[in-house]
Amino acid sequence: MVKPDLSVALGPLRLKNPVIAASGTFGYGTEFLPFLDLSELGGLVVKGLSLEPRVGNPPPRIVETPAGMLNAIGLQNVGVDAFVREKLPALAGYDTVVLANVFGETEEEYALACARLDGAPGLGAIELNVSCPNTEAGGMIFGNDPIALGRVTRACRRSTRLPLLVKLSPNVTDIREGARAAEAEGADALSLVNTFVGMAVDVDRRRPVLANVAGGLSGPAIRPLAVWMTWQASRAVKIPVVGMGGILTARDALEFILAGASAVQVGTANFIQPDACIRVIRGLEDHLTSRGLSSIREIVGTLETGEGRRS
Amino acid sequence: MPQDFTAPVLSNIDLGHRNFLLEFAAADVASATEPGQFFMIGIPHADILLRRPFSVCGVPGTFDESEAGRLQVLYKCVGAGTDLLATLKEGARLHVLGPLGRGFSMPDSPRSRPLLVAGGIGSAPFPALARSFLAAGIIPRMIYGARSAADLPLLDWFRKSCSDVLVTTDDGSHGTKGLVTAPLADLLAADGKDTIVYACGPEPMLRAVARLTIGAGVPCELSLEAHMACGFGVCLGCVVPTRTGPSGDTGYERVCVEGPVMRAERLAW
Repeated sequence: MVKPDLSVALGPLRLKNPVIAASGTFGYGTEFLPFLDLSELGGLVVKGLSLEPRVGNPPPRIVETPAGMLNAIGLQNVGVDAFVREKLPALAGYDTVVLANVFGETEEEYALACARLDGAPGLGAIELNVSCPNTEAGGMIFGNDPIALGRVTRACRRSTRLPLLVKLSPNVTDIREGARAAEAEGADALSLVNTFVGMAVDVDRRRPVLANVAGGLSGPAIRPLAVWMTWQASRAVKIPVVGMGGILTARDALEFILAGASAVQVGTANFIQPDACIRVIRGLEDHLTSRGLSSIREIVGTLETGEGRRS
Repeated sequence: MPQDFTAPVLSNIDLGHRNFLLEFAAADVASATEPGQFFMIGIPHADILLRRPFSVCGVPGTFDESEAGRLQVLYKCVGAGTDLLATLKEGARLHVLGPLGRGFSMPDSPRSRPLLVAGGIGSAPFPALARSFLAAGIIPRMIYGARSAADLPLLDWFRKSCSDVLVTTDDGSHGTKGLVTAPLADLLAADGKDTIVYACGPEPMLRAVARLTIGAGVPCELSLEAHMACGFGVCLGCVVPTRTGPSGDTGYERVCVEGPVMRAERLAW
């Protein structure tokens, strides 16, 4: 029996399979070496990087909520330079695509960070984080405003030859506006969604559970919202869309793929089950095999909707 | 090297007052688990998403009846996760990840005199640690504090295994009324020479113990607790403020990787 072809393309970026470990849930990659072979992954996105290192928010930073979790890590990271010097070389021996997630406080910071990453050995692509809800610096001001988002995309596009993904915020009225703006300014692909802003209250202490008050909601709780936005965005643009939001299993991933995602990212599941990405890849393979399909690309965006349903 | 495995519950003993001692099979990692390390434990198909961290309480040899290839954790029901854990019977399956983190360090000097300071369920990591000392021919001392007599799990075991177990309770229902810091201060003042303090309990207690031991120039290791999603260093949810730089700059370090056991002077509380 011939194994089904799981490879996909995100513009100029080729992935051996459509499963990418999501930023903020996969450290700098090497933390997962005890649990899986990084070479089996379609790709991995490292923790969001800024020009300078950041210490992040005070604890408590996370809390479990129904079918999900809130986090307010505050983009703690080693900074772009230390990443290139100390973290990236450790990933050199693995046959997977390494994506750097980048954020800044200004257009210039984004562009400078992209420029420093351009040409970094072993780096496959850049994902712009214009959607972290937990810090002033997290780019949310760009994610909330299609014009600003277009400008920052353009600035980064000029700073790097690497394939460029733009990660969209779901905390908007219409996901399609940002999607179109990023496409118009040269994004090679979109990834969505980042976390939804949420809040949990400690009733006994009459305080917010998180020191940051608000946090980003992830996990299965957001999956239907994320699938819907993936469906909307993928129909609004011509560039490929990477879907994410609460994917735990291959069936969850297939929801996004059928709704229009060319690839998916697995996030919160990595915390719960360190080899979650591998399980999703195997499940996709089994799904294709059992249906006699030769390639995952055959089913991208093949959702069948009845006549007269809203689009 | 941590492992991710499915383990059957071997026993889940109700110690009373919402305290439980859970034993599970861990053939591949039990003998490599060090006192102070922890496990992330989840319940398959439960409505709880994240695993929860538990310090190892017993490794092979800790309890008289304990056998090879088994581990014990001591826990108190404090929320949905532990309430559900308490319902599990022998044979139920657990998703176990571990051993994780850095455990306690054994003293360099044979003259060292360990003193365990526990607050309530914070006694959880100390049976395994006490047994390591006993195996090295050292009998640890202990101060065991809690809110009331109901919150002193395994007190009888500690009385058998440690010398001079001093008990304090907030309400005076057992031992001396008050906090662990009173006997600790007395002990450090009267007989602190060669003492090494190992403390685990609520954060206010750990802060107070850190202040006292640093003031007395006595080495002290704290076993910390924090909410965490992953347990292996990627969620960055469990951080504590620490002095990380050479000049005492403060930053955050992960309880799950740089801890859960940290030297008292490292914490920037």
